[in-house]
Formats: sequence, C-alpha cells, structure tokens
Amino acid sequence: MTRTPEVTPELVRGGLQKALYLTTPRVETVLYLALALEKPLLIEGPAGAGKTEIGKVLAGTLQTELVRLQCYEGLDEAKALYEWNYQKQLLRIQADRAGDQEWSEVSQHIFSRDYLLERPLLHAITAPHKVVLLIDEVDKADEEFEAFLLEILSDFQVSIPELGTVTARHRPVVVLTSNRARELSEALTRRCLYLYLDFPGVEIEREIIRLKVPDLDAALREQVARFVHGLRKLDLRKVPSIAEALDWARALRALKIQELDAAAVRQTLNLVLKHEDDLRKADGKIGSLLAAASRRGV
Amino acid sequence: MKTRLLTFISMLRDAGLSPTVAETLDAVHAVRLLGVERRALRDGLAAALLKDEADRPAFDAAFDRCFPLIGRQRGKGERREPSGDEGSGAAGRSGAQMRSTLPQEHPDPTGPNRRSALQDRAPTLHPTQSKHNRLLVGRRRLRAILFAQMSPQDIEDCDELVADLARRFRAHLRRRQRQAWRGRLDVRRTIRWSISKGGVPIQPAFRGRRPGAPDLVALCDCSHSVATATRFFVSLLHPAHTFFRRVRLFAFVDQPIEMSVEDGTLVPHGQLDLYARSDFGRVLVTFRERYESLLNRNTILLIMGDARNNRRPPRADLLARFRAAVRQLVWLNPEPIERWNTGDSVMSTYRRACDELLRAATIQELHAALRRCLTRI
Repeated sequence: MTRTPEVTPELVRGGLQKALYLTTPRVETVLYLALALEKPLLIEGPAGAGKTEIGKVLAGTLQTELVRLQCYEGLDEAKALYEWNYQKQLLRIQADRAGDQEWSEVSQHIFSRDYLLERPLLHAITAPHKVVLLIDEVDKADEEFEAFLLEILSDFQVSIPELGTVTARHRPVVVLTSNRARELSEALTRRCLYLYLDFPGVEIEREIIRLKVPDLDAALREQVARFVHGLRKLDLRKVPSIAEALDWARALRALKIQELDAAAVRQTLNLVLKHEDDLRKADGKIGSLLAAASRRGV
Repeated sequence: MKTRLLTFISMLRDAGLSPTVAETLDAVHAVRLLGVERRALRDGLAAALLKDEADRPAFDAAFDRCFPLIGRQRGKGERREPSGDEGSGAAGRSGAQMRSTLPQEHPDPTGPNRRSALQDRAPTLHPTQSKHNRLLVGRRRLRAILFAQMSPQDIEDCDELVADLARRFRAHLRRRQRQAWRGRLDVRRTIRWSISKGGVPIQPAFRGRRPGAPDLVALCDCSHSVATATRFFVSLLHPAHTFFRRVRLFAFVDQPIEMSVEDGTLVPHGQLDLYARSDFGRVLVTFRERYESLLNRNTILLIMGDARNNRRPPRADLLARFRAAVRQLVWLNPEPIERWNTGDSVMSTYRRACDELLRAATIQELHAALRRCLTRI
C-alpha cells in the first residue's frame, strides 16, 4: 500500500510540474486548499480548458488511483453506486441447494460483499487507501442524482439496506467538473470549493506548447499561441481547446511549416475548428488574426 | 484578522452574494493555511466564498475595498491575473474605483457604499469575463427573467435555450418511459426461459409495457399579454409530442381555434382575433360544444393562461366538468404569483376546479412545471 504524501503547497506545485500541467498561481492555491481542507472541489469553465486533467494530475501528485465517474442524463444509483450481482446470487442459491442449508444462512451469504457490484462511488469509498474521485460533467446528470450525491459528499458514507452503512476509511479527494449545461443546486456548490478554470493567457499557452511539442520553432510557437488566442475571441460555436491547439502545433511540425501564413492556416485550420460555420467565419478573419499574431511575435 | 474577515463577509452579503456559515468557516481555514499574502488570500477566499464566476466582479470590488493595497504596492503589478488581453482596461477601472473608496479603512457596510455594491451585482456583464462566461451569465438571466419583462432581443436569445431545454425534456420523458418499462418482471417468460437452464432463472424476462400513452390537449392563451409565454410553452411541448398518443393544441383569445406546429411556427386553423378581449368563460363554452369528445379518462388537459377574464362570467363550472372527465387538469399561469387574483384575474375561482395550478412566469418555472405534470404519466 502506498502512503499518502503530506500535503504542502510544494507538493502541489511539484505534482503539477511533473505532469507538465502549466497553470496560474490561483489554480495552485485552490488545489492546495482542496487537499488540505479535504473539501470537494468544483471546477467550472469552458470545454477544453483542462478541467478533467486536474483530476488526473491530482491522482498523480498523491500517487494514487483515479476513480472516474462520467455523468450523463439518466445516470442512476445502480450505475454510480452499487448493484447486486443477480446472476451470481442465483448461482449461489443453486449451489447451496445441494447441501441442505437453512434459508437464513443462504440469505446472509447472498447479501454480502461478494455479491455486490461496486460502481465508482462505492469503489472510491471502500478503497483501502486514499483515492481521487473525479465526477466528470456533473451538470449532465439529473437533479435527483445531484441530491443523492450530496449525501455522499457530506458524510462519505453509503447505506445499503441489506448490508448496513459503509463508511469511507479514507476520505477520497473529490473533484467535480461542470460545463454549466444547467444550474447546479446551491446545496452542492456550498459544500465544495470553487474554481473557475478559463483558457490560459498567451504566455502560458505558449509554454504549454513548448512543453508538449518541444521541437517546434520558437517563433512559430508564439504565432500559434497568439492565433489561437485570437480565435477564441471570435464568436464561434466551439472555441478551440488547448488540446486542439497542441494538435495543430504537432501538425505544423509534421508538415514542416516554418512560418504561419494565410495558405498554411487555410490548409490546417480544420484541426482547430470543427464546425463548418466556424471555419467560414474564421476564414474572413485570417488576415487580421495573422497580423495580430505576428506583430509582437518576432 | 478575524474581524477583518467578518467585515469582508458582510460586505459580500451586501453585494448580493450569500456566503453561509459553513463557507465562512472554510474561509477561516483557508486563511489559516495560506497566510495573508495578498494574492493567495484573494484566491483562497474566492475558492471558499465565491461559487459563481459571474459574481467575480462583485467579489473583487469587495476584496479591494476590504484589503486595500498599501503605499508603494498600490498601482504597480499585483493585479488579478488577466483573463484575456482586455483585462488591463478593466483592472484600471476597478483600480480607480478602489482608490475612491480607500480613505475608509473599515467601510461601514450600511453606508453609502452599499448602493454602489448592489449596482455592481451581476447579471451586469463585465468586460473581463470570457465569452463562455458571458453566455453562462446570459443564460442564467434568461432562465430567471419574467416573460412580461422580456425584450424582443431576449425572446430571440431564448430560442436556443428553449430548444436545449426541449431536448432535455424529451430525453427525460423517454427515460421515464424506459424506466417504467424496466423492472416489471414477466414471470411466465422468465420461467419458460429458465427451463433450458435447468430451472435456474438466470436471465429474467421483463415485461414490455404496452404503451398507454395519454392524449394531450393544451389550451393556450394567445392574447398579447401572455403570447411570449405561450410561444415558449409550445416550443417546449411540441418536441415531446411523440410521447403522447394524440396531441391537440388550441389557441384562444375569446374563441378556441385549433392550431398546429409547422416548421417550428404556430399555425392556427382559422381566424384568431388577437385584438379581442380575453374571455375564458366563452372559450370554455365553445370548447365544450365543439371538442368535448376529446376529453376522456386518458386525457391530460393543460391550460396556459393568466385567467384575466375582463370581468366576464368565468364559467368555472365547465372547468370542473372537464376535470371530472379527464385524467388530469393542470393550469399554468405565466404571471408572477403576486399578480394572481389582482385586477380582473379570477385565478382563485379556476383554481378550485383544477387538479393543480403551477407557476410558469419564467422559462425555468415553465420547464419545471411541464416536467412535474407530464412525467408522472
């Protein structure tokens, strides 16, 4: 069993660095607080700004397992918490029929841990060591599920009628992410620390590209970061995420493009923009975006 | 520090945020852990107390006033991180704002600052907020704004939001239907299947419910005052029509006229006099004469209207008669609750004849009301 390292600001900073996750001091502070206070952390922000990644980084930092629960409309307790393994229970009953066992004995058996299918939430609670529980896109789940989540987040315990109450041996580190498809209830936000994760500024994005695509020419890196930054300011249906900016940088490297010009952009822009409308809209702006990207870049 | 923190929290309350006691405790813990280095303090307090990025401007204003920069520090560097290039302009502005309130070390929360703090409160849009955030604040506002106060621009903006909600509503109905089907064990088939497994019912069979989809009849007030509400009512309802056996929509002002939805717009099948004065009593009479055959034990009757009857006979007896005939009669009122029964509104008269009366003065309420009355079927 791994021992959980002691939580210090340096640990968080080190973990972020090791995971090549570049960010602002604000994020570091909030992550440190979430770990030190053992409070769930609610992260909101646009898609592709690195919300989910934070869960992974935290798991890496604490050297522990990441338990992930992806939310969707219609997610219910059976999928999130536990379910009885019906088939296995039946087999057990059949097997017991051979020897004459009392019903009370059998029923004790079939409602024990062995016949329980653990879903992510229960898994995180019963794990023998501290884990990171990532509840992704919690806004996609229904209100009912959110209410049910509250019970778990406040006490970290689950009551299973046939088994009794299961209490967490170690409080998991909980990270919730949301895109705000709907309002989250106040009861939930009140229990969490809150972090709004926006796209990084040009400088940080440039550094991210430097870390992840190291052999890209420096001037080109600057241009890519600025161009993507400019794109995000346009009124697009889907703004480019950080991952898409990285894809683009890799593609430019693979195509051996030395400098960003209108032709190169047109050729590769579909890596960054995935909607036909967006492409059309950006096409008219390529000139001005390029000018803005190059002005201070060289 | 403790008193300073409490002052800060009361300032946040004045600015319209509502930190709870538990959150205050979190803030205290955060300060203990992080110390008082200004940036860390700001971020730590924000994590504990600020639960909606839309409130960030109000939070920052309160923070700057309560924990002002001292002497040389002021004005150089150490601003909040720019969340975009336009950040610098806004920072300058709020810096000026901050200086103007600096002389007071502990501003009296009941003093003149209070008003300006209230004015700072969202949903006003702040230039430093990113596009996503603007969308988020905008949607939050649209969900909560009264139909009566919507500008034409708001109504246009709402269409996307309503389409989104309609999709969710549909998905909700579908799921409810599926859940209703699941979990009903078909004993006969389970046993038949089990024979091939030596009598072990290893694979349970579930009964597929015969879809007993109800009929839906909706009467929608189209008079000028509630036309917006009706429009969104129909746009939410229509995508869900496949979950009902039959859907009949009627528009009325003083006469019920059947209408249908074609390419997302409402098309009445007859002359609808939009400038007539609403007459619910007459609508009910005509409805009984022409369409009473639509009402049976399998019908859900929805009425969308403000019950403003221009002092004409309400004929609630007919409504009671309809209620006896249908499975459920639900009235949705698009006026805010404090306006019910004022002036010529006869809501309380009709209320007695309805199974349920629901508020639908905003998009959020409308959506909740529809979910409430249509998912128990």
